[in-house]
Amino acid sequence: MDIINYSRVTKRYNSWPRGNKVLALDDFSLQIEQGEVFGFLGPNGAGKSTALKILLNFVYPSAGTVSLMGKSVSDRRARGLVGYLPENPYFYDYLTAKEILWFGGKASGLHKHEIHDRTDMLLDRMGLKASCERPLRTYSKGMVQRAGLALALVHNPEVVVLDEPMSGLDPIGRKLVGDLILELKSQGKTVFFSSHILTDVERFCDRAGILVGGRLRLVGSLKDLLSRAGSLEDIFMREVKTAEERMQ
Amino acid sequence: MMRRLWPLAFITFKEGTRNKAFYGISLLAIVLMGASFFISGLVMRDVGKVAVDMAVSTVSFAGLLVVFFVGIDLMAKDLDKRTIYMVLARPISRQQYIIGKFVGISLLVVVTVFLLSVFAAISISTIKWANPDYFPRFSWGPVFLAEAFIALSLVLLSALSFLFASVSSTSFITMVLTILSYIIGQSLSSVKAIVESPQDITVSPVTVALVRAAYYIFPNLSLFDIKAQAAHSLAIPSAFIFWTVMYGLIYIVLVITFAALLFTKKEFP
Repeated sequence: MDIINYSRVTKRYNSWPRGNKVLALDDFSLQIEQGEVFGFLGPNGAGKSTALKILLNFVYPSAGTVSLMGKSVSDRRARGLVGYLPENPYFYDYLTAKEILWFGGKASGLHKHEIHDRTDMLLDRMGLKASCERPLRTYSKGMVQRAGLALALVHNPEVVVLDEPMSGLDPIGRKLVGDLILELKSQGKTVFFSSHILTDVERFCDRAGILVGGRLRLVGSLKDLLSRAGSLEDIFMREVKTAEERMQ
Repeated sequence: MMRRLWPLAFITFKEGTRNKAFYGISLLAIVLMGASFFISGLVMRDVGKVAVDMAVSTVSFAGLLVVFFVGIDLMAKDLDKRTIYMVLARPISRQQYIIGKFVGISLLVVVTVFLLSVFAAISISTIKWANPDYFPRFSWGPVFLAEAFIALSLVLLSALSFLFASVSSTSFITMVLTILSYIIGQSLSSVKAIVESPQDITVSPVTVALVRAAYYIFPNLSLFDIKAQAAHSLAIPSAFIFWTVMYGLIYIVLVITFAALLFTKKEFP
């Protein structure tokens, strides 16, 4: 069953006031199945974040349709079972990690005791228990990232969407996130994450896609992709180069 | 509906009460009210009127600062720094976001005005105790009503800031538009009276039409300003209270509805 379905999605941003249109996604189609860990690769400005933001309904597609668990992404209920970590997350300065997790749980319809249990477990897991009563503005970048991950997971979502989850993390933090992705995979959750770190994609993903210039240039299982060339890095560099030559 | 709105309203209120600007403004208001004790001592007549006028004006001024520097910041930061992602990634629609956020900020404004009103009451009581002869016909009713009207007009102003935030790209534009609306809303009623019955000046029909159009678009904030009546302990007719409250509430509902409609079109790239 397709949990995530992008069908012929195009996204153009209007650059006001000059009226120039920036093509962020071009006829983009992608299906991700339940329980799959999908790695989304692409150089900076390829359109990865735009694709993820369309899935969360932060931006609207200019053409095409996107659905989450069979529901259109414009239906707010579609986001009930999705956890999202933005690239460079930013939270309310004066709230604590505990308070934003309370908000996340409450807004997702969790009961008081569930929020309490999940918050305790996640803060402990993310190494934030000692600092959970401190305002978030006193957190380091890595701590904010871990708080963001806890917020993404507080309601025990079926689908986890992570935009550059390793960004700003030290090796310990990266190991923590890596282990978490593997744990989610073992629980049968669907994980859709974008990354620049090719080794992470090789380690965690069942399938991967390479996006360049808003177009999905290559998609397939890790096994298939790696059988075409020695490493993901070789495939990535080749696809980016080919796509750039075509665009010129 | 409230089940979805309440968590957002609550964290908005909480974030607002912890903002350093909020404490600064509250402290300033308390200092001003303390100063009114000494200022009223310098005035040799109408001490009662000066004391009430200063206390209520301080509540209004501090409340206005809270709307401009805390309320707008709470909304604008969500858009500028994209903290809105943590809200909209939940099963919360854009309309629910606007209403939840508005409820939180309105709560902050009302609680601020209430707390400042307590200090205003202490300030007036102290001056009244020191100068009982200057408070012959003093009544608390008009003072509390003036403060309630201040709260309502500030909530209305916050609603306008939401409308501007729905269409503008930066918090600075939102703040400028809100301040302009406040100035226009405070003076439009007088400007209309002048252009409709000019004395010693000629006003073109276009100007009159423009002022009339603006009068019906912008809120008439001077309507909520009953400081003078409170200072003179004048009775306020019930019909005036009823229609002013209705005017404020209807205006708020219309503006927030319009802001929510505009917000559904807004994207957060």
